[in-house]
Amino acid sequence: MSKYKVVHYINQFFAGIGGEEKANIPPEMRDGVVGPGMALAAAFKDDMEIVATIICGDSYYAENMENAEATILEMVKSKSPDMFIAGPAFNAGRYGTACGAICKAVKDNLGIPVLTGMYVENPGADIFKKDLFIVETKNSAADMRKAIPKMAALAIKMAKGEELGSPSEENYIERGVRRNIFREKRGAERAVEMLVAKINDKPFVTEYPMPVFDHVAPAAALKDLKKAKIAVVTSGGIVPKGNPDHIESSSASKYGKYDLTGFDYLTDETHETAHGGYDPCYANSNPNRVLPVDVLRDLEKEGVIGELHKYFYTTVGNGTSVGNAVKFSKEYAQELLADGVDGVIMTST
Amino acid sequence: MDLENQNRVKDLAEKHGAENVVVVFGAAEAESAGLSAETVTNGDPTFAGPLAGVQLGLAVYHAVEPEFKEAVDSDVYEEQVSMMEMVLDVDEIIEEMTSIRNDFSKY
Repeated sequence: MSKYKVVHYINQFFAGIGGEEKANIPPEMRDGVVGPGMALAAAFKDDMEIVATIICGDSYYAENMENAEATILEMVKSKSPDMFIAGPAFNAGRYGTACGAICKAVKDNLGIPVLTGMYVENPGADIFKKDLFIVETKNSAADMRKAIPKMAALAIKMAKGEELGSPSEENYIERGVRRNIFREKRGAERAVEMLVAKINDKPFVTEYPMPVFDHVAPAAALKDLKKAKIAVVTSGGIVPKGNPDHIESSSASKYGKYDLTGFDYLTDETHETAHGGYDPCYANSNPNRVLPVDVLRDLEKEGVIGELHKYFYTTVGNGTSVGNAVKFSKEYAQELLADGVDGVIMTST
Repeated sequence: MDLENQNRVKDLAEKHGAENVVVVFGAAEAESAGLSAETVTNGDPTFAGPLAGVQLGLAVYHAVEPEFKEAVDSDVYEEQVSMMEMVLDVDEIIEEMTSIRNDFSKY
């Protein structure tokens, strides 16, 4: 039996061309494997073969979506593969989005099976999980060794047209699809067993997972802004000069709480940003651009707001997990409530 | 390990011969030291750099490991490394580096 032919898509980084400074390169196709394709090819053994690798810069794709998509589709077509694989992209946002978009385009236009892999919090996963099989990886390329065998195993099944199991069996991100199956025990019995397990603090798996909605209901409007105590909170990384609590420049594991007493505005001598995800020059030269203490003091003097809260809370949003962000806000929201704060202005970057 | 450092190690190994090169790491955590050590022995585990698929099999040690400590001037070690030796999880680092040496080092 001949091997199934695969075309593999990767970005400029995994092709070894370069990082951010090379993210503008247009799509190119090379014969055979490049970068992570080596590991995929090894995992495919005799079942599949990577005939070509398409490489495209993440920024190029994001800024020229239609062109890039059309060019890449033509490239894929020219090799008439049996399957298309992109990534894995881990937690790289633009790369993940590109992998998802190009997979969907190939699936819709060429009708061949497609597969990609990414971290569950990658924006690309959220956008494309309903359309695609996305193997769940960890958030960094250190997981390559474990991610590749999972992707290869699922890819082989897909190329052969075998029936696929549930997300947890095949390691892909839930697509929100329900399938009817026969069980030996009837529903009432299973429900009671689950309830008994729950009451006894024993593990059980729900058969009907609730979707997770990340919607926050807006708070009620402030009755009188003139009397309101307003706090300012930021994920833009503004900290006292020297970053005394060492808040990380990305993937922050903590937040800081700092006193604004005596500050009419922030300066480059008193504050700076710890954020590693944007050009810090403008925030460092005038930290009010991110944490607007200057205008809030003006509004306080003009009587537009009652008063500016004594403390500000700050962290770095760059790559910080949703889990950590929720944990931080749960803590400091209680402090803000206890301090009688009526409203919070949250600034990001 | 970034692309530039991978290139440097690759060039040095070619120039001097892989059997003559020892790579000493200073990473603060066992996991990151292990990833770097794996890169210069078994190849880049992320398959992104010049060492992707290249098994140099170099000798690898961490600066807080006893092998390195005994090989260098104890005064210099005291001044430059001993402070970090106190705060790092040395046992975990030794365990990680030993497993990389056993599995992937050829020299």
